[in-house]
Amino acid sequence: MLTQASGEVDAVEEAFLRGDESSLPAAYAAHGSLVYSFCRRALGADDRASDVTQEVFVSAWRARAQFDPSKGSLAGWLMGIAKHRLIDHVRSEKRHSDRRSSSAVIDIPVESEVDQMGDRMLVAEALRSLPERSRTIIELVYFGDLTHSQVAERTSLPLGTVKSDIRRGLASIRHQLEASQ
Amino acid sequence: MNQQHDAGSQEPGLAEIEVILRELSDADAELVAPPAGLWDRIQTEVATSGGSNVVALDRRRRISLRMASLGAAAAAVVVIAVGSVVLLSQRDARSGTVVASAQLAYDPVNFDALGADSSATASLVNDNGAFTINLDESRLPDVAAEAADLELWLIEPDAQGNPVALVSLGLIDRLEPGVFTVPADYDPDVFYVVDISIEPRDGDATHSARSILRGPLTEA
Repeated sequence: MLTQASGEVDAVEEAFLRGDESSLPAAYAAHGSLVYSFCRRALGADDRASDVTQEVFVSAWRARAQFDPSKGSLAGWLMGIAKHRLIDHVRSEKRHSDRRSSSAVIDIPVESEVDQMGDRMLVAEALRSLPERSRTIIELVYFGDLTHSQVAERTSLPLGTVKSDIRRGLASIRHQLEASQ
Repeated sequence: MNQQHDAGSQEPGLAEIEVILRELSDADAELVAPPAGLWDRIQTEVATSGGSNVVALDRRRRISLRMASLGAAAAAVVVIAVGSVVLLSQRDARSGTVVASAQLAYDPVNFDALGADSSATASLVNDNGAFTINLDESRLPDVAAEAADLELWLIEPDAQGNPVALVSLGLIDRLEPGVFTVPADYDPDVFYVVDISIEPRDGDATHSARSILRGPLTEA
C-alpha cells in the first residue's frame, strides 16, 4: 500500500528497510503490478518487461539500505529504479537500431517519455491510494475542471475542507513521486 | 479561466503535481498483473546470489534419504510468522493429547493459486510419545482434474523461517483428511511447520514447490 500522507511510513516500508525477508514478497504484492505495467508500456508485452521487473526488485532488495522513507515512498523508489533500468534498455535498443539502419522508424519511447510515463503512472497510483473524499475532490478539480467553490457545492462540503483536502492530497502524491526523481 | 490554480500551486512542487494530474490518461492508471512465475524467478535470484539471508535449500545438507528437497523456486519461500518454537516435552505423555496446533494459511504471493480458498487446522497429538498430525476443519481444493494429489509435509525452518528440510506425512483425502503419523525419527520440535502441497502424479516424490497452505505449530 502506498502511504496515505506525506512523510508517513507504512509497515511494508519499515520492514523493507530493516531487511525483513517477508517484506520483499509484501513489496512485490503491493507494487509488482505497477512496476511491471510500467515496464510493459515502455518495452512492450514481451519477456523484456518481465526481465526488467525482475532486475528492479532484485536490485531494490540488494540496495534496500539506500531506501530512505523520509525522502519518498517505496513505490516511488522502485519506480525510480525502474526508470533507470528502462532508460538503459531504451538507449541500448537505440544503439542497435542505429546500427541496423539509420533510416528505420524506431517505435520505442525516447528517454524523457519513459521518465514522464513513470511519473504519470506513479501519480495515478498515488491518487488511487488517497482517502476516497480527497480522491473525489481532486478528480473533480483536475479531471472535471471545476473550481473549488463548484466542488464544495457539488459535494456539500465546506470550501475550507475542499481546499485542505486538495492540499493534503497533492502533498501525499508529491511524496510518492519524490523518491522516483 | 485558470481557477484551478487556487489549489496548491503556491507551494513549490505541488504545481508540478497539478500539471501531471491534468495530463493523466486512462493508460496511466491501467495496471497489468505480472506473469505467473515472475515472483519465483525474483526469489530464486535473491536466494542464489547472496542478496539476502535466504538460502536455497538445495545448497544445504539434506538430513536423510527420506527428506525431499524443495525445488529452487520454493527454496526461498519465506515462512511467515515462524518464531515460536514449540516446546513439546515428555511431561505430556497422556494418551492422545493435543500438544500443539497450527492455523494453516494461504500465501497469495508464494503459493499455488489453486489454494486461494483453502483453509485448515492441524493439531499435533502426542499418544504416549508417538506423534500424529490431525487435520481438521479443512477446506481443500479438488486437484484430481490436474492429475495431482494433495500431500502433507512437516518442514524444519531455519532461524529466518526458510525451509531447511522436510518430511512427507502422506497424501491427503481432501474430503476426509484424518490422521497422519509423524515418523518416529522426526522431532516435531524441529519440524514444526505444517505444509500442504499439490503434487502432480509424475513419479517425483520430492516437494513440487506448489504449496497451498502452511503454518507453524504453536503450543496448545
